[in-house]
Amino acid sequence: MFEELLEDIAQKNGLREVNVYLKLAAGLGAILLCLISASYLAPLFIALFLTGAILILARVDLKTYAELFFAPLFFALISVAGIILITGGPDIFWRWDLLPGFSLSITRESINQGVFVFCRVIGGMSAMIFIALTTPMTDIFIVLRRCRIPEVVIDLMMIIYRTIFILIDQVIQIYHAQVMRLGYSTYRESLYSFATLCGAAFIASWDAGEDLIRAMDARCYDGKFALLGESRPLERMPCLAVMTFLLLSTAVVIATGTITIL
Amino acid sequence: MSSIILEARDISYRYPRGMEAIRGISFHIRKKEKIALVGPNGAGKSTLLTLFNGMIRPDTGIMLFDNQPIRYDTASLRILRKRVGFVLQNPDRQIIAPTVYQDVAFGPTNLGYSVPEVKEAVTLALRHVGLEGFERRPPHQLSGGEKKRVAIAGVLAMDPDVLVFDEPTSGLDPSGSEDIMELLDELNHEGKTIIISTHDVELAYPWADRAILMLGGRILKEDVPDVAFGNIEAVRKAHLSIPTLLELHMELHKRGFLLSGKKPRTVLDMMHCIETLFEKSSDRQRHGTITVCNVDLDTQELLSDWLSKHKGVSIGAMGTRAKQYAENSRIHLDFTYGVIDKCILKALLGEESLILTTESMVKRVTLRVDAYGKESGASIPVNQLTASPEEMNDKNGCVP
Repeated sequence: MFEELLEDIAQKNGLREVNVYLKLAAGLGAILLCLISASYLAPLFIALFLTGAILILARVDLKTYAELFFAPLFFALISVAGIILITGGPDIFWRWDLLPGFSLSITRESINQGVFVFCRVIGGMSAMIFIALTTPMTDIFIVLRRCRIPEVVIDLMMIIYRTIFILIDQVIQIYHAQVMRLGYSTYRESLYSFATLCGAAFIASWDAGEDLIRAMDARCYDGKFALLGESRPLERMPCLAVMTFLLLSTAVVIATGTITIL
Repeated sequence: MSSIILEARDISYRYPRGMEAIRGISFHIRKKEKIALVGPNGAGKSTLLTLFNGMIRPDTGIMLFDNQPIRYDTASLRILRKRVGFVLQNPDRQIIAPTVYQDVAFGPTNLGYSVPEVKEAVTLALRHVGLEGFERRPPHQLSGGEKKRVAIAGVLAMDPDVLVFDEPTSGLDPSGSEDIMELLDELNHEGKTIIISTHDVELAYPWADRAILMLGGRILKEDVPDVAFGNIEAVRKAHLSIPTLLELHMELHKRGFLLSGKKPRTVLDMMHCIETLFEKSSDRQRHGTITVCNVDLDTQELLSDWLSKHKGVSIGAMGTRAKQYAENSRIHLDFTYGVIDKCILKALLGEESLILTTESMVKRVTLRVDAYGKESGASIPVNQLTASPEEMNDKNGCVP
């Protein structure tokens, strides 16, 4: 099951010590540029650049990255196929009158549109993965507080974050116990096993919740949660690198203008 | 004898809609004592522990802390819980925050410390348990022993007077357990009162100043460990076992070997018993030397110099920081727990040994060796490895 989590990779990645704001600027900036760009080339450029950063700078191994990258790509391909078939246009390559008043067609415009959307997805996705793999949640909490998100929300998020891992641990243990006793062997059996797994996980989390309150009380809980406030210093090299990346990408966005594939 | 810090007067407690967990218990705990609550599962150990910091309130009887009855209003409980730190059995249940730093800072923050004060408390606590540099790590990536240490650090950061541990070594490997027990010793040495619950007799026997045997919500026997665990009837009733060394001693006694001195609590004690029996210890003329190196002083060069001169000596480290120091300096450790006793054993064989330790523990080595010397008449020289070479020359820290 899910033994290796994104969060674990993020905690160990090569860019862990780089200032959080810089990483977020690079990631969010890249997403914005992907959205602004009117050509399919700029998002591709961004995707290539960030993929390089993830593989070389953050030292994430290729297999993990590829798995992460290709999983959602399947959905993107289906939607793009839909776009290509439904979008109309004057320059028709292929057409099929399915029903009166409704036809599927492939046109120059639809292909351009499809490729454009697909590249945007790739660009945006690489930016998302870049953030997910280089910035652990614990660092994002600091940013959230700086952004004046209400304390209650952040405290809740932190407790949830911590609890998720405990719950996952428990679920894995229960799951293994079930598999060892031949749970999930048939379809019916797997339905039943899954239901008991859910039930057991619920009870375990309820228990853990009560213990949590006790543990907090035992340590004088008074509505306050400490936060590791220190952010990594802004170093010159990473700063320059992010700026170069964003400027270069902007330049590509402008230069490629509205270039289309066909 | 030091003053009483915790006292129970005829307390009982029944869980809501449940069984009676505590049925009339009275006892007291003095400052700086090491107490082991021992008993089978369901004897009421954990319930009794939660009474200490006011997590639950006894139905009848009163609990006293520092000779004051415990009050159960919010403000008083806060003060009590600051002074009585509680470490749960399962560290996963105790660790709340997403990073080690945040978790250790939880108590101090809620006590209203300022940010620099919190930082200082956290740094100190992490240093204590030997987890410097773990600040930004998320707890779910740590090993069981490390999690336990984080949980302990979280309580230490509040600087309590009394530390209560529910099964401190459950789920840890033997060496991890010994490490934790050593840490408890270290804390006790700094003046903290320590109460643990356990059903590991072998662990409690050499460690505790006093053992409280519990069964069915009552105290079965309360005494120094060799008496408490030596009572076959009580031990059998409490579903426990007699510690191996004690049993061996009893069996030897039954067979007519008149063993002198107090009952053995460690292998060293046992060796002493046996050696006096065969009067062998007097044969050996020269004892080996124990050298103590304080890692808090800047002794890096001195130490490597010493080590190059004394090849093949046994080296032990006491305290987490000393162990870390050894790891950083790539010193191979022969002993990591029960260090002083093992070094005395070496010395009795006429071999040299070195103990790496921290400032607060240096004195303990001399004290322990002195105590042993008084008892057995063996004089074992203890040297300090200090910066000035004059002092190094046979500064005898023990009874002539």
